[in-house]
Amino acid sequence: MKYKQHIFLFIAILIATISTGQEKDQGNSIGLLTSQTEFEVGSTVLLQFSSAEAVTPLLYCSNSYGSTVITPVLEETTLNYEIPDFIANKSGLVHWKLIHNNPTSGSFVMSPQQHVATMETYIGPPTIEAGDIDYTMLVVIPTDALDNPMPEGTPVMVHHRFLDTQTEEEIETKKIISYKNISSRRKSGRLFIAAECLETHSTEYTVDVLPAIPTDFTISVDRPHEYADGNQITSFYTSILRDAHANIVSDGTFVTFFIRNKAGNVLKASGTTVQGIATAKMIHPDQEEQWTVQAYVDGMAESNTISIAYQQVVENVEIAFAKANREIQVGPLKSFMNQMIPDGFQVVLEVYKDNVLLETYTKTSRKGYVSFSLEEAIFKNDTYTFTIKTAGLEKNLPNIKLW
Amino acid sequence: MNRNILRSILIISYMIIIAVIIGGISSLYSYLNTGADRATILHTEIQKIDQYIPDVYWAPLYNEGRPMDQETLERIENNYLDAWYVKQIAYKTNTTSGIEDYYTENARKNLYNTIAHNTEEGIVVEATTLEHHPTLEFFSEDGQLVVITDYDVVEYKRLYKDEVLILETTETATYKIVLLLEDGFWRIRHMVKEHQEVYTEKERFDTLKDISVKGINYYPQATPWDMFGDGFDPEILSKDFQIIKDAGLESIRIFVQYDDFGKANVQEDKLQKLKQTLDLAERHNLKVMVTLFDFYGDYAVLDWTLNRRHAATIVSSLKEHPALYAWDIKNEPNLDFESRGEKQVTAWLQMMTSFVKNTDPDHPVTIGWSNAESAIILKDHVDFVSFHFYEDLDTLEDVYLYLNEEIPTKPIVLSEFGMSSYKGIWNPFGNSENDQATYHKEIQGIIAKHKIPSMSWTLYDFVEIPKEVVGRLPWQKNNQKQFGFINQKGDEKAAFKYIFKE
Repeated sequence: MKYKQHIFLFIAILIATISTGQEKDQGNSIGLLTSQTEFEVGSTVLLQFSSAEAVTPLLYCSNSYGSTVITPVLEETTLNYEIPDFIANKSGLVHWKLIHNNPTSGSFVMSPQQHVATMETYIGPPTIEAGDIDYTMLVVIPTDALDNPMPEGTPVMVHHRFLDTQTEEEIETKKIISYKNISSRRKSGRLFIAAECLETHSTEYTVDVLPAIPTDFTISVDRPHEYADGNQITSFYTSILRDAHANIVSDGTFVTFFIRNKAGNVLKASGTTVQGIATAKMIHPDQEEQWTVQAYVDGMAESNTISIAYQQVVENVEIAFAKANREIQVGPLKSFMNQMIPDGFQVVLEVYKDNVLLETYTKTSRKGYVSFSLEEAIFKNDTYTFTIKTAGLEKNLPNIKLW
Repeated sequence: MNRNILRSILIISYMIIIAVIIGGISSLYSYLNTGADRATILHTEIQKIDQYIPDVYWAPLYNEGRPMDQETLERIENNYLDAWYVKQIAYKTNTTSGIEDYYTENARKNLYNTIAHNTEEGIVVEATTLEHHPTLEFFSEDGQLVVITDYDVVEYKRLYKDEVLILETTETATYKIVLLLEDGFWRIRHMVKEHQEVYTEKERFDTLKDISVKGINYYPQATPWDMFGDGFDPEILSKDFQIIKDAGLESIRIFVQYDDFGKANVQEDKLQKLKQTLDLAERHNLKVMVTLFDFYGDYAVLDWTLNRRHAATIVSSLKEHPALYAWDIKNEPNLDFESRGEKQVTAWLQMMTSFVKNTDPDHPVTIGWSNAESAIILKDHVDFVSFHFYEDLDTLEDVYLYLNEEIPTKPIVLSEFGMSSYKGIWNPFGNSENDQATYHKEIQGIIAKHKIPSMSWTLYDFVEIPKEVVGRLPWQKNNQKQFGFINQKGDEKAAFKYIFKE
């Protein structure tokens, strides 16, 4: 009997010690029950801890964008921490730590959804140069419905079409983004680009392949006649300006024509290209001339040099005096067929007294004549010397008396 | 007659009211017409002021895509750090101002959500980042998009719930970040945390076993607490150092004031004067303990990066100096416990101690606690413990033995002690010069008995004490003036004999 009692007592004590021991263990530590360490964003993330104590320690939680603290819900011996949406919806590592005198900590990973919702696409530059050197870059960031970038290694298909060729290439996301350099072709034209990731398609993107810089070219000249009548207009033309790959340069390419005359002076005319051709115009000189012409696209290309000659038309200048020598008539000024020179031919009269230039008058012809009248109020009755200049000729009339 | 007066009063008051109303309306009108400066549209007028300057160590540039230029990289860095800064402010105040400048429309939402949750739960996060190690991964051809991996970002965080501090943590984390150039700002588009661990302080330095310090706290007589100002005179310093050396002492403790030295942008001329002081000490064979952050009292987490920049500049420019003996992080920080909170001050000290240790691995670091009780705080972080003692001499031995027992592995330095010989209207029962001499005689006895490394306060009696030191009260000021071994006239006081004991 006594023996039995002993055994009973012994067992009772044993049970008591074991159970109290267990209690002690549980009291000291709160153990993590959740074994899952990777969750898809958007799902409900519940971290569960076993706890024998009726304590509800807070859980510190920090993700890619910020940190917060979560209050648990205690269900019997289980502490439930529901990770709030703004953390559960963002991909990346989430680190947690129990704020408890025996702190446990850990982390889990929120991974993006397996479905692409939007393709953030950046393309640039929007225009590139033809040839094999220039390129544009397509950057694609495929993101899921919760705006999380896809994991590394997600395949992205890049489609691009240029003229008649269509190409497809597969690239992969790496460090959040995926990118592809798309080179220009030798021809100019428009490049159409689109991307695709996990069966989600981007919109269409276009990049213009513009002609490269022009290469050297030739110029030509066109004029109604070869006479220096100061009236007709000479036109200069470029050949079709092309880049190194025979693309016609963009309209509006600026071409400057430099015209150097006999005296070494430079006249400038300019034009912009239309369909590769630039045109510029210059009025004919009024005296015999020899022009040397060369055109440039500044800093890029130049033309050959051409020269053009203009023949003298006015051979002789006749002068007549009237009204006490105060009216000076120059003319008739005759052109290449002895016709009266077209209106607007320039004649200059210079009035000297004792070799001092008193006055210069410039007039243009009308019906082949130019007449100057000298006012009494300006020129007192006296002796003056006149010089008439026109068509490169100069005629001196010394000691003319006005009265 | 009476009616006339009444009438004129009425008319005058009417005119006054009209004048006031018209004046008000016209000033409102002109205010509304001032308009914004056009330049503000482009945000070009933003002035760069240092408000957040963690250490940023860029990896060499081997990025994919377009080659990076230094100027763009600097812009990116500035905007990126600003993005961190506005985020820290936002989480500290739970407001959203500034976020839209540095986060794109989609990225902003993530911060707003966190702020909304934290506001609701009464959570406040005070945080700062101390180090960034970014690598430029990618720069797009059109110069509008970059990808950065920011490795081992050292983040210090302090979380409050309902205004109670619940967690303090230092972590290192790695982020991948996509930034877009929008409206002239590099804005964060995506941010993904990839790695995180608890920050562990690097251990260094074999524990110091024994040190011997026989020194004195030093300020020039004419310019106390303004040692590196306009009154800086190398000749005076040289003469004083000679006196100190001749008295048998071997070291001095000097103070670098945070504001005076220019906060985060340490002024070069002050630094030169500090260097010159150490040069002179070297010439007179004295070692120098430099006390940093004097008169600094903020400790705010968002101030940390500025504090570190200040310390980095001074520590790295002096760490090779042969006269340098040790760094005292801060003088009597425990006096700020009440106003700033013990945890806040301690966290700052721990961070700064570890930072100075890392910046200068060769010199010991300590904190000049104002009493022995505080000296136990952070005992594991300092290389030697120092405390100040101005109490009754009878207790010194016990205090020292107590500290020795508490901290058996590290040397304990008595880095300030002394007695004022002021006795006058403001303190008729003060100590006389003879009392002061007796005090020093006795304390030198205790110091010699226990071989306590020690530094007394101070060489001179001062004429002027700035109000920042002990306040404006005349009895405190006058008391503070007469701690010296040499009086205001320049004569040795009775205590001078006991400045040091073999």
